[in-house]
Formats: sequence, C-alpha cells, structure tokens
Amino acid sequence: MTTINTNAPAELPSSRTLLRSTLIALVVATALLFTVVLPAEYAIDPTGVGRMLGLTQMGEIKMSLAADLAAAEAAEAALLQEGGAAPAGEEPTTAAASVADSSAALRSDVTTLTLLPNEGKEVKLEMAEGAVVAYSWSVEGGVVNYDTHGDPWDAPREFYHGYGKGTAVPGQEGELVAAFDGLHGWFWRNRTGATVTITLRTEGAYQGVRGP
Amino acid sequence: MTDRMNEAWLLRAALALLAVGLCLMGTPLEALAHGVTAGDKGYIQEVSGVLLVPFAYLGAKHMVTGYDHLLFLLGIIFFLYRMKDIGIYVSLFAIGHSTTMVLGVLADVTVSSYLVDAIIGLSVVYKGLDNIGGFRRWLGFQPSTRVATLIFGFFHGFGLATKVLDYEMSPDGLFPNLLAFNVGVEIGQLLALGAILIAMSYWRRTTSFARHAYAGNVVLMTAGFVLMGYQLAGFFLFDV
Repeated sequence: MTTINTNAPAELPSSRTLLRSTLIALVVATALLFTVVLPAEYAIDPTGVGRMLGLTQMGEIKMSLAADLAAAEAAEAALLQEGGAAPAGEEPTTAAASVADSSAALRSDVTTLTLLPNEGKEVKLEMAEGAVVAYSWSVEGGVVNYDTHGDPWDAPREFYHGYGKGTAVPGQEGELVAAFDGLHGWFWRNRTGATVTITLRTEGAYQGVRGP
Repeated sequence: MTDRMNEAWLLRAALALLAVGLCLMGTPLEALAHGVTAGDKGYIQEVSGVLLVPFAYLGAKHMVTGYDHLLFLLGIIFFLYRMKDIGIYVSLFAIGHSTTMVLGVLADVTVSSYLVDAIIGLSVVYKGLDNIGGFRRWLGFQPSTRVATLIFGFFHGFGLATKVLDYEMSPDGLFPNLLAFNVGVEIGQLLALGAILIAMSYWRRTTSFARHAYAGNVVLMTAGFVLMGYQLAGFFLFDV
C-alpha cells in the first residue's frame, strides 16, 4: 500500500487510488444506509433487506412514536393557544363554558395534600371531552415542580398528553379543557428540602376527584 | 513472537472495549414513561438553580457516548505522534466547540440539528480524506489542518447547543450550569482521547499499521458518509 502522511508529493497516493477509495467509501456507505440505517431509523426500505433483517419493523415503531409525539405536541400547542385567548381568571368565559359537556353537573372542590422532600403526588379529575374546569393551586412552605396532563380511559402504556409543566413554581391558576374522556390533572413533585402543602381549588364540569 | 501475540491480544481487547462502548451508546438517553420524561432530560426538566457537578457529569457523558465527536477526534489524532501536537489540535477543537455551544444556547440558535449533524458527518469524511493525502494530491497543497479543526469545532459546538436546548434547561442558573456542562464535555473529551490514544499507539506498533492506516481512514470516510446520509434523511423527513 502507498505510504502516506508525507510531504513529498511523489509519495502521496495517486489521484486514481484516492478517487477509487472515496468512491468505495461512498458506495459502502450508501449500501449500509439503504439496507440498515434508513430501515432501522425511518422505515425507509427500498431494497427489502431491512424487512428481512427485522430492522424496518424497528423503524416503523420509531416513526409511529414520533408521529404520536408530534400529534400530542400539536394538541398541546393548540390548547395553550386557547388558554391564551382566555387568560387565567376567576370567571370562566362564556365561550369556554359553552364547550363544556352539558350533561356534567358543575361542582367545586378544595383538595389539600402534603409533600415531603422529593415526594411526588397526583390529583386527577374525571372529565368528559371538552369539559372545562377552572382551577387554582398554591404552595405553602416552598415551591414545586408540576406537570399537568391527561390520560384517556384505558390509556396505552407510555401514553402522554401534557397541558404544561414547570419547575420551582409557588402556584398557578387557569383553565383545563379536557382533550378526551378520561382523567386530567396535576402531578406535583417537591424538590426542596422542606415539607410543603398544596391547596387545589377546582370548579367546573367534572365527575369526581381522584387522589392524592 | 510472544511480543507480537501480546500486541494482537491488546488490540483485540481494545476493540472489545470499543464494542462495549458502542452497545452502551445504543441505550436510550431518555424514555417516555407515563406522564413523565425519564432519563437525563427528565432530570434536567425537574431541577433548577446552580448544579455544577451534575451538569459537568452530563457534559462528560454526552461526549464519551457521542460517536460523531469521537470519530472526528480519531481522525484528528490518527497521524499525530507528539503530545504537543495532540494538545494543540485538541485545544483548537475544544475552543471551537465551546464557543458555539455557549453562544448557541444563550442566543437560542435554532438551527436544524439534522443539518448540523450532517455537517459533523462531513467533518469526519473531510478528516479521513485529509489523512490519506486527498487534498494534497488534488489541490496541490495542504489546507491548514488547524483552521479546519477550529472551523469543524464550531459546527460540533452547534450540535452540542441543539442538544442542550432540547433538554429545556431551567433559566435559573443556566449560565453556570452551561459552563459546568462545557467543562464536563472537555473532561469527557480527555477521557475519550486517552482511550483512543492507547488503542492507536498499540495499533501503530504493529508492523501492519502502515498498510492498514490507509484502509482505516477510508473506513472513517465511510462512517462519515453514513452519518451524513442518516442525518440528511432525517432532515428531509422531519424538518422540510
């Protein structure tokens, strides 16, 4: 093989050798891409080799998960926009109220819970799709991380639909519009060194409170 | 004879270690659990405030498990023998990627991570071709390897920045945490460099090194082309 890493031009590999090597690298890379990488990552499998190796199936699952995630993010963005139109306040707007499931009786609750350091707890409301709940929660003795999300009945494993989350927050108020029939609510975690107490007030169209 | 067998055994051990590393890389860094983001991203989203050691750890982990950065590093030190040269080039790479990583995160630069990663793939191809003398043969001169290292360092930094932005770090303590992450990246780079140097110096001692070095750089180019194709496909699928 040609000597390399020398400054004498005569000892460099010939242009032909270099071109051939580059082409070999390109061809091998293209072959690997179309038979292994693209099937396994994106379910792109023009040769059918990926399916024979079982890699295309991996790509299909990845692509469907990516689509689910994108759909969930789009739904969340749409919801946040709705929330922006009706800013957090004491009175739910009439427009929002008309969306609510008319069959659900309005009710209100005050739920309190205590979180030890590093403890996490969840409170969920049983809501029908489109139902609206006005809520406010506040923390006594510190701040918490929160993740507001919903699960449809019989949620598949790894299902996640979020309405918003944040870190080190002393409280929050707003309106929750159920994206589907199921449980919708809050997960709080106390990452401070002291015990905190959370008071949650809810008012709107829901059937019951689950948790903490 | 026993000496050569010894070397062969050491080379094989180094390759086995590399294989284990490759397997670990496949471990997902994050996983969606019921309503909670798990893994490193989940941790980062849950914390706020200045946390130097945890972020340094995450930076080091990112570098040690980032095959694109490691391939480029391998290309850079392939023909560097003296510690002084290695120090210069690795510092240039570090200056390059630190600059764009910190600026990219603070300025919230949202370049497509697929395009940045495709350019990182290109940097691997470039270095492989550079190592086998392609540019000297075709251009008639050696394009500055130091400038190339710095410029590609900038792109590697943008790649790091897009990943850090994806973590959605809390604005509380962002700057110190970012610096800690960067320090971690450098520590990780030194660790990876140590491993690569050990493997390379055993390889260089074998009589076949001169023959295999050329092929090794062609393999490096191949890996770079694969990275480019992978990232470009992602770009056209998701970002266009």
